[in-house]
Amino acid sequence: MVGMLSDAARRVVFAPLDDSWGRGEAVARRLAGAIAMGLIGDGEQLPSEQELALSMNVSTITLRDALSDLRAKGLVETRRGRTGGSFVRASPVALAELSRQRLAEVGVSELRDLGDVHMAVAGTAAQLAAQRASATEIVRLRSLAVKVGELQDEAELHRIDGRFFIEVAAAAQSVRLTKQEIGLQAELAPLSWCLTGDDPARRSRLAADREAVAEAIAGRDSRLARELTEVQLAEDTQVLIAQHIELTRRRQRG
Amino acid sequence: MIGEVIERIFESVTEVRDLMVECHEAARAEGAELTDTTLGLLAPDILELLQREGELAVGMGLIVEPGLLPGHPLRLEWWQLEAAREEPQRLEVDLHPESLGFYDYAAAKWFAVPRQTRERHIVGPYVDVHGTDRYLLTLTVPVEVDGQFLGVAGADVPITRFETLVLHHLGDSTGEIVVVNSEDRVVFSTSAEWITGSLLSGPAARAAARAHALPRLPWLLLSS
Repeated sequence: MVGMLSDAARRVVFAPLDDSWGRGEAVARRLAGAIAMGLIGDGEQLPSEQELALSMNVSTITLRDALSDLRAKGLVETRRGRTGGSFVRASPVALAELSRQRLAEVGVSELRDLGDVHMAVAGTAAQLAAQRASATEIVRLRSLAVKVGELQDEAELHRIDGRFFIEVAAAAQSVRLTKQEIGLQAELAPLSWCLTGDDPARRSRLAADREAVAEAIAGRDSRLARELTEVQLAEDTQVLIAQHIELTRRRQRG
Repeated sequence: MIGEVIERIFESVTEVRDLMVECHEAARAEGAELTDTTLGLLAPDILELLQREGELAVGMGLIVEPGLLPGHPLRLEWWQLEAAREEPQRLEVDLHPESLGFYDYAAAKWFAVPRQTRERHIVGPYVDVHGTDRYLLTLTVPVEVDGQFLGVAGADVPITRFETLVLHHLGDSTGEIVVVNSEDRVVFSTSAEWITGSLLSGPAARAAARAHALPRLPWLLLSS
């Protein structure tokens, strides 16, 4: 269906956590990812603590830890009273800071690993999309790539870029690749701000990159579609790693 | 037989359509209009159809013509069954046109085609990244009263359910069959050479001994 992923993506985001350590942190990370991805919009009320805890399969104590972490990051605001609850605050400043914090937390090998998995999933999706995308799907991919070049708002730009990858996986006609891509985007979204920053050259390069993939898919060149995707993601990973190193060194000095 | 299976699904969709038509006529009899509230009252009836034994659909409901309901420019009443949850869920989507996540249903083929042609339509198979994250066929019929278009009624059917049923019906009758949609995508096939979801065009399609359009369906049946 034409439109935006919503229910399916939310289900991935609010799915039970499977790791056993650092659950509070993991919950906070997952929710921050959903906010960065735009799945939970600015001003939107989160489900109740009980509902969220149940849906993510964590205790309410763990969930409260996570919420207080998000409050500290300025991503969630809790209001008391009858109309109270937890509300999302997705301000550009908070999101940019989230991106820097997240990039500082992870290690080089984690960033490399995330990039490796993304390459495997998105590369295969692009290859299959070149074989299987319908004319309608190709039109959609092209228009998303063009939109990446047009958007001024940093958050929207990366949301649309993430959406491009998800739609490529859907055009590959694979439910599993699509779910994998949604999960990866939730992890990548908080980092993506560091990918272009305010640099117009990097932004237009990103748009040109995605357009090239869309054209390879339109041209039914599955090998090229895969290759371009892999090369682009390897470059993205390198940019993130370079920034991570820079950030970590600066924080050390400070 | 592919026709029979499809007609069976369309019968359910027609029942969903009739719910909206009745609702509209009941409102009109009282000199009132269809509203957000009255449409919401159809939920139990839609659920009853969806949960009926032997029903192939995993999602069913109504999608309203933009601007029809006072105060609610866009409106869906769509319910779906999910493997992981026991209770059916109401599909919640973003209906704010200015939002980046806007669910622009009026542009979707399953809405736009019946609206334009006033004929039933089938879309898919496609990966539904907006609803149930399944690989689906979506069948829709226009809802019309005295020439006025009110929206569409529809059903989502997982391609696997459709395929299994058709294969059962076919039994061991001979010959290879491939069904493709208007985008040349394989909808159904008795051969592992032409897999559901792949595109079949050009020489492969022409190599088929016979090709004929399925009655009232946007599909072509190719056979050896």
